[in-house]
Amino acid sequence: MSSTDTASTAGTASSASTPSTGPASTAGTPSPRSTSVISADHLSKWYGQVIGLNDVSVNVPAGVTGLLGPNGAGKSTFMKLITGQLKPSKGVVKVLGEPIWGNPGLYFRIGFCPEQDAFYERMTGLEWVRALVRLNGLGDKEADAAATRALTAVDLMEAANKKIGAYSKGMRQRVKMAQALVHDPQLLILDEPLSGMDPIGRRKTIRLIREWGRSGKSIVVSSHILHEIESMTSNILLINNGRILAEGDVHQIRELIDEHPHTIYVRAEDPRRLAREFLGGVDDVRSMKFEPNAVVVETGKPDAFYARLTEMAASGEFGAIDEVTSPDDNLQAVFQYLVK
Amino acid sequence: MPIHDQSYRHYGGGRGVPGRSWAVIAWAGIRSFMRKRAFMGLMLFALSPFVVRAVQFWIASQYPQASVLAPGPETFRQFLEQQDFFVFVITIWIGSGLIANDRRANALQIYLSKPLMRTEYIAGKLAILFVFLSLVTLAPALLLLLLKIAFDGNFAFLKNNLFLIPAIVVGSLLQVMLASFTMLALSSLSKSARFVGIMYVGITFFTTAMFGALYAITGTSRVSWISVGANITQVVDVVFRLKPRYATPWQVSLLVIIALIVVSISILERRVRGVEVVT
Repeated sequence: MSSTDTASTAGTASSASTPSTGPASTAGTPSPRSTSVISADHLSKWYGQVIGLNDVSVNVPAGVTGLLGPNGAGKSTFMKLITGQLKPSKGVVKVLGEPIWGNPGLYFRIGFCPEQDAFYERMTGLEWVRALVRLNGLGDKEADAAATRALTAVDLMEAANKKIGAYSKGMRQRVKMAQALVHDPQLLILDEPLSGMDPIGRRKTIRLIREWGRSGKSIVVSSHILHEIESMTSNILLINNGRILAEGDVHQIRELIDEHPHTIYVRAEDPRRLAREFLGGVDDVRSMKFEPNAVVVETGKPDAFYARLTEMAASGEFGAIDEVTSPDDNLQAVFQYLVK
Repeated sequence: MPIHDQSYRHYGGGRGVPGRSWAVIAWAGIRSFMRKRAFMGLMLFALSPFVVRAVQFWIASQYPQASVLAPGPETFRQFLEQQDFFVFVITIWIGSGLIANDRRANALQIYLSKPLMRTEYIAGKLAILFVFLSLVTLAPALLLLLLKIAFDGNFAFLKNNLFLIPAIVVGSLLQVMLASFTMLALSSLSKSARFVGIMYVGITFFTTAMFGALYAITGTSRVSWISVGANITQVVDVVFRLKPRYATPWQVSLLVIIALIVVSISILERRVRGVEVVT
């Protein structure tokens, strides 16, 4: 991946010991690689007077790439531009070598999983995926087979004939991924696929994404949680205030992140019992506070904490863990550090 | 014991080409309405005037003493006018949720990330309305003409009224197009199908009531162009070579119809987007 954002940003990124591992190119001029699946050249998007993406030039290589940034950084705008749902105000974006805007033929090769739920809740998962894959030109029988295959791939076949309205948050995310995957696209674009999932669901989804990456698909996955992205890929694109801040190897970014305490919100059936366990043994928890049906943990060792949390959820001894989210204060702090 | 490959398998089948997805949208919509018994009951009920007319044609052809029942060109116009009510009800039933429900479910974002152009999406939705509305206007009217020929056993009626075929086609299509485009545009404006239905009923009745009030005040029907329904009536009368019933020039009524369709297309162009940008 080569960062070619504006001169000031590129300069900042490298001077701040950024994780830029790709060959740096002249500011403002992209250096496309033959393997890049997405290339943006001076890409900008304004919403009236508000700028969503600011003069971004970047090449995203084949493989799994994490798009990382706090809420409002421009991740979703970038996602919408690379899926052709928004027209760039300025610049060009090419996906798989072709301009994406007004090029529906390209959607045969792309799968998009949006952040928002987009369901007819009265349909079953199988009906929904089958109906959508028919838009890819598959006949009834082929659509049925493809939908079954995709739901199996996301481990949702057991619930395929249940109404989507009865699905949990994790199941909803997985059925959305199934519709993105169902036509076997070359490039998968996943917008916050882990958002609101429980730890088990997260682990399953991360495993799936890694498996798809290994099977030869290119995947762009967005998140505002570094540790999620890190578990999927080491190749990241850091975005803030509509600009690409840094790109490349996740480990160098992680070192910066770990200097800042990490806040994790855990909504659970019995948060006090969880809290007792958090405090026992390992010194990865700095502080805790309780909220209704939830505990908010500040940790200096997010990796260790997430691993412990997943084990606790899997053991089932601490009641149901309904939701794990991470406010992005710490990430914001790293961004500010990079921008300085 | 054989160990089966559990890894991801790539799709090996065929694929369609862009440009045909509208048919998928249309067919999915048509199928979903055909599965509703109450709706199919309404469709059958909407064909009852056709059955009555068919019986009328048969009696007129079999019994010379029933010549008072003999159909003329205006009979076909009357039949289309009778169907106005059913066009109105079916348009609301089908059309109000066509886009509104997709907007409520955020489905547009998913649809438009598939090989589907916005025009195809709109064409697919329009086709659903077109098919059902044509089934209660165009199809039975043409079938009535065929029945007339069949009952008479000769083509004399058709030869004498050859304009009836284009008149039926144009008159029906005008009715269907205006209802379809305006309803689809209204459906794209809201996420609530119920609200869309109320808007459609409101616009239809309000414009008719306005025309009625102005007619009562001024004593002239020159302002009939205010009423959506009156415009259709006026133009279809002319298409059937009948004396227009209002004082508004039919060209004005036609212009109003075209303007309504253009405005509807413009609304659809703005509102049917995968991502709603609020600035």
